[in-house]
Amino acid sequence: MTQTTHLAPEQLNAFIDGELSSGEALEVQQHLADCRSCALRVLSATQLKAATARAAQRFAAPPEALNRLAAQLRPQEPKKTARVYQFRSMAWAALAAGLVLAISLLGWRRIHQTNALSAELLDQHLATLSSGASPEVISTDRHTVKPWFQGKLPFSFNLPDALPADTALKGGDLTYLNGQPAALLLFTIHKHEVSVFLTQRTSGPTVTTLPGIRSGFAIHHAATQDLQLIAVSDVDPADLDVLVSALVQAQSPR
Amino acid sequence: MSFANSATFEQLALPLLPSLYSHAFWLCRNHAEAEDLVQETISKALRAFDSFEAGTNFKAWIFRILRNTFLTSRSGIAASRTVFLEDHPDLLDTSDTSPTPEDHLIRLDNQAAVNEALDRLQPPLREVLLLCDVEELKYKDIALVLDVPIGTVMSRISRARRTLHQLLQPQLGESL
Repeated sequence: MTQTTHLAPEQLNAFIDGELSSGEALEVQQHLADCRSCALRVLSATQLKAATARAAQRFAAPPEALNRLAAQLRPQEPKKTARVYQFRSMAWAALAAGLVLAISLLGWRRIHQTNALSAELLDQHLATLSSGASPEVISTDRHTVKPWFQGKLPFSFNLPDALPADTALKGGDLTYLNGQPAALLLFTIHKHEVSVFLTQRTSGPTVTTLPGIRSGFAIHHAATQDLQLIAVSDVDPADLDVLVSALVQAQSPR
Repeated sequence: MSFANSATFEQLALPLLPSLYSHAFWLCRNHAEAEDLVQETISKALRAFDSFEAGTNFKAWIFRILRNTFLTSRSGIAASRTVFLEDHPDLLDTSDTSPTPEDHLIRLDNQAAVNEALDRLQPPLREVLLLCDVEELKYKDIALVLDVPIGTVMSRISRARRTLHQLLQPQLGESL
């Protein structure tokens, strides 16, 4: 059916914009064939549409702006992951730094603790040297000294049947070392006073890191299955070792 | 977003960058703002890409984001204060006087005149023409971008072209 009235503006626009169905478009085309006025309007509108597009396109994006925008599009995902990796490596670095710090703190604490321990050992040893102080149990007899500790300590120990040459047991005392109950055995080797501390073996500050010599006194350490043994003296370290060995040997079951 | 989606997004968005920029420029009328607007549009679109329904018009989808981003920008808020009468049909001059052939003798040969007429067009009218004539979006997609019914798109296009036509009348053209 041929349209007899002129095209409505919206109909004309829909026609030039390609928005009409094929049936509707055919109707318009049939009308245009008959109506010069509407044909001119369509021609004019089509030209205007093209001119509008040309006018609008004069503001083209500068190439560098397009490059920046394209760059924003492209590395979005890799950049994100890169950032994650960066974060991860930073986290690892922080963790590593934390570990180093923790280890050095532990080490410092250990050194600090062993320093404190060796100072404590030395203090106690020096205390036994002062003339006014005498051990709780004064005896050269191991059969007197050992039973004296029974009930006073949460552990027991053995004394050797025979002491090394020119080594004598003087007595014993109950003390605390590093917060633990300890048996303090007093010996003399060649007239040099020797303090031997016996404690239960714990996971406490490891005495293997104890300095061998502090303020001129030898500090020797030994451990048996259950006991920890530290000897402090100004005697020849070799002689001290002999005593320590004898004491360690005494602990092994016979 | 998965890497595959990201790659798809890039494939879809890259060819549209010149269009997005050009349209952004028409909205902002400033190169620096236009670039910022497109940049923000891209990052918003990338984040919202999961909500894009495959098979629908990506161009309309991202132009809608561009437009909404512009409207919430400072210059967009300023522009939105412009009173726009076109959507009030009772205020519209709907008379379509039977045109004489002379009425169509507009100065299309003079591109400078067309440029200036487009510049003088009210922003909402220019916007709909840009989407239709430059971006060649379908009416239904323009309706999606502008968030208006399709009937409003049609009436706006009509009004925009009529106004442009009037601005290009030879007697008006002399004063351009």
